[in-house]
Amino acid sequence: MIAGLPLAATVGFPLLLLAACLVRPARERMLLALPFAPLPGLWCALGGAEQAPFVIGGGPLQFVFQLERPASILLLVSAVLWTLAAAYAAAYLRDAPNRDRFAVCWLMGVAGCLGAFVAADMASLYFFLALLTLGSCGMVFHDETPVARRAASVYLGLALAGETLVLAGMVMLAVAMPGDGLLVHDASAILPTLPQRDLILACLVIGFGLKAGLFPLHVWMPLAHAAAPMPASAVLSGAVVKVGILGLGRFVPFDVTLPDWGLILTAVGLFTALYGVAVGLTQAHPKAVLAYSSVSQMGLIAAVVGMGVSAADASAAIAAAYYASHHVLAKGALFLAVGIVAATGSRRLWWVLAPTALVALSLGGLPLTGGALVKYAIKSPLGEGLAGTLANVSAAGTTMLVLHFLHRVRRDAAAPAGAIAPAGLLFPWALLTLAALAIPWAFYLSVPPGTLENPMAPKALWSAALPMLVGAAAVLALDRWGGRLPRIPQGDIAVVIAPATRAAVRAGAILQSVDAVLRAWPAAALALVLTAVLLGYAIGVR
Amino acid sequence: VSGAAPTAGGVLLALAIVVPACGMTLSVLAGGRRGESIAMLFMPVSFAIAAAVAWQVIATGAPLEYHLGAWTPPLGIALRADGLAVAMMLVTAVVMVATAVFARADFRSPRGGAEARAPFAFWLLVPGVWAGLNTSFLAGDLFTLYVALELLGFAAVPLVCLDGRNEQLAAALRYLLYALVGSVLYLLGAVLMFGAYGTLDIALLAARMDGGPAAAVAAALMTAGLAAKTALFPLHLWLPPAHAGAPAAASAVLSALVVKGSFFIVVRLWFDVMPAHLGLPAAQLVAALGAAAILFGSAVALRQARLKMLIAYSTVAQIGYLFLMFPLAYASETGGLGGGAALAGGMLQAVSHALAKAGMFMAAGLIYAALGHDRIADLAGAGRALPMSVFAFGLGGLSLIGLPPSGGFLAKWLLLSAAFETGQWWWAVVIGVGGLLSGTYVALVVVRAMTSTTAPLALQAAVPRSQEAAALGLAIAATVLGFAALLPFELIHIGRLDVPGAPR
Repeated sequence: MIAGLPLAATVGFPLLLLAACLVRPARERMLLALPFAPLPGLWCALGGAEQAPFVIGGGPLQFVFQLERPASILLLVSAVLWTLAAAYAAAYLRDAPNRDRFAVCWLMGVAGCLGAFVAADMASLYFFLALLTLGSCGMVFHDETPVARRAASVYLGLALAGETLVLAGMVMLAVAMPGDGLLVHDASAILPTLPQRDLILACLVIGFGLKAGLFPLHVWMPLAHAAAPMPASAVLSGAVVKVGILGLGRFVPFDVTLPDWGLILTAVGLFTALYGVAVGLTQAHPKAVLAYSSVSQMGLIAAVVGMGVSAADASAAIAAAYYASHHVLAKGALFLAVGIVAATGSRRLWWVLAPTALVALSLGGLPLTGGALVKYAIKSPLGEGLAGTLANVSAAGTTMLVLHFLHRVRRDAAAPAGAIAPAGLLFPWALLTLAALAIPWAFYLSVPPGTLENPMAPKALWSAALPMLVGAAAVLALDRWGGRLPRIPQGDIAVVIAPATRAAVRAGAILQSVDAVLRAWPAAALALVLTAVLLGYAIGVR
Repeated sequence: VSGAAPTAGGVLLALAIVVPACGMTLSVLAGGRRGESIAMLFMPVSFAIAAAVAWQVIATGAPLEYHLGAWTPPLGIALRADGLAVAMMLVTAVVMVATAVFARADFRSPRGGAEARAPFAFWLLVPGVWAGLNTSFLAGDLFTLYVALELLGFAAVPLVCLDGRNEQLAAALRYLLYALVGSVLYLLGAVLMFGAYGTLDIALLAARMDGGPAAAVAAALMTAGLAAKTALFPLHLWLPPAHAGAPAAASAVLSALVVKGSFFIVVRLWFDVMPAHLGLPAAQLVAALGAAAILFGSAVALRQARLKMLIAYSTVAQIGYLFLMFPLAYASETGGLGGGAALAGGMLQAVSHALAKAGMFMAAGLIYAALGHDRIADLAGAGRALPMSVFAFGLGGLSLIGLPPSGGFLAKWLLLSAAFETGQWWWAVVIGVGGLLSGTYVALVVVRAMTSTTAPLALQAAVPRSQEAAALGLAIAATVLGFAALLPFELIHIGRLDVPGAPR
């Protein structure tokens, strides 16, 4: 086999399908081909982390694709999610008038997401980030409702701003790196030694943090994930947000302690974890509840990475990826379930609700589920101190949130009593639910025994069950005595965007009238004279 | 450097100017209806000449030189093709050929029909523009550059008013007057130079340059005049109506290429004639105007109701990026302008903007023709009716925003590198904010166009495949230009008259 072929196919095949969309007949049928786009990525991920890299270009600058350890876990589960969600989308959007446009955006998303996992140099990483952003925005925009438009524009604006910061960080690193190479690995190695280290880290943390949905840059997530069609929400909330945290994890060095940055990341992460739960509980729309749960989970993952940075503990990155991999599948399955429940009648509802409840509760760490397994993995990086306690509080909160979700989603089942979801929706959802329950166990069994806690041990069962019991009790208490929670709008602090936009529009109007003055002859003639005089002066004072 | 010997193959440089000039002359002699056929003959030849020059320069890694009539400077006139000139010649050739493909559908003279003014003028003026541009890229002395400026100006102004509508005439008149003032300033500066140094040859001037008061005044006058012709903010009064009002093919040439001619002469003046004598304050001043152009032009572009006006203001903004390179190329240890990432980034910005903007103006023209209007608010459904045109516009937009793998991305990367390397982070902030603003106005248009309508749009006119192909081809070229980073050679740096010790 040609060296690097799986990696080449991972990025090349979705891009090839994208290129095929230039032809109208191919574009119109592309929706049906979407489930195949991530399959080379799946193949590549199954090949493991030790395979030959794929390199483009023979000059001083090269584009390099390589599968590294934490990314390989995420590549595997993301490819599974993209495949099954695409199968769901093929049925869900079969008759949608804009399915060709959706398919193009989806392919950009597949290529961008999987590409960002395997891109080893900064130029290609940036390319796939940008491609992913454009595709994701297109998917959010799909329904064209005012809500979808607003969500897509907030998303696009913030994501481009985040990418600008990432680019600034990358260029600062590239300038400092010896030679012409742009490998992320090398950049991360020299980062701690640079005088402008903190500026670069600030750019990268804010830029990638925005993509990962860390407070206060999470505002786009509830808007976008609630507005997108179900399969798109599944991949956005499951796979796409992981690109941000993985990107950050690849730039921050884990072999040198950076206590300040570790503390910042941990604090922001834990605050986000609790904040997401608190706001999520006030949401009525089940997709918005799930989106806030994603905000919360991403916060927890960021906290794990932050603890790893504080302690120069590279295993934290693996633990974070492992935790994230469960979230990829579980959150994807839950978003798909929203559509399934809506199409299922009351008589068959429990057949759908029971597995959904199992997956939902596994997010809170239900003993013996994948959620509990991944909780054990992040236990050691988080430690026994305040961070560990707050993580347990967030697990209790997540339990509250998923119970709230189950309550909300059940109310949406409005179909006739005997209705059943179409097979095209049902099968991908069922497979994904199964994957969410099984794949974490497969990962668990693949690591040497003794690395992780025995999930059957009574102590482990109890440590997982306790936050859940607290959460369940809190839900009951809230229901009994809590009265009505305030209704916080989707995107919470995004409410400042509308007045800010109005102010920007006013500023634009002022600039336009200034332009009209400047373009009148007297002003323009004066400007020309002034330019010449000032230039002469500037050259003179040299 | 002075007295560089003419090189083998140098005659190609003369041909690069003479062939389009002959095309123009022949068009006049042969009469209006044959202009198109003559263009179809000379354009491939001109393209081949540009390619051959590029091939020679890249293969030898050295500039091409030619002395007209075998007279050496300062008596004779030298033509010189270094990396900068070759890059601009190549992009000119590509945009010109694509424009010709595009324009055949709009400016045809039916067999046996009456001679129409617009096709006659168009096929006459385009070779004039090409000859003027090649002259400004290749000329080795300030007077030939002046001739190039005038040729360019007089060929470009009528392109603005091809249809002869009143507002086009008003825009052309504005353009003509302001460009004339710019030429006069340039000429004044050139005369001052000649008075002080006794030569106008660039290499000789560079050797004799002492940065005296006469040179300072001359440089200020010439730069201001050229900035007026390039429509650097706040000297942009003529550009929006002229570029937005012209027919699409003409807008493409004007916005993509014509403003780059005068800009290129600024680069020659600053980097080749007096790299060590202009100083950082002046460089910061032009960059400040560039930054104002980026922010102001983008913000006003966002306020436009018509697509072509939006693209024209986007040109005002993109011209700003070109002027950021002057302080970024400043090397403090030598006290002069060096080559390096800043020059490469600035020139790449010129090249990628040329490709992207030409494609975008063509796409806008197609949308206008098919919909019968170019009101941005009413573009819904255009994405379904004209997918390839909207796609071309979007791809061109990617390059303006600076997303990879476009040439705009590579240009931005190089400029940012130079900004961080020299510690001038404020220009990096401007580049970042400018990218966000351009992202906003591109998204505004694309989102409108992609919005569905209940009924399919009724198109006023069918859009020829060849026109869509021309627009899309240019946009794709701009998009893949970033892969130039993988090339094993650095075209821009071939034949630089670098100040010694400046960073590469």
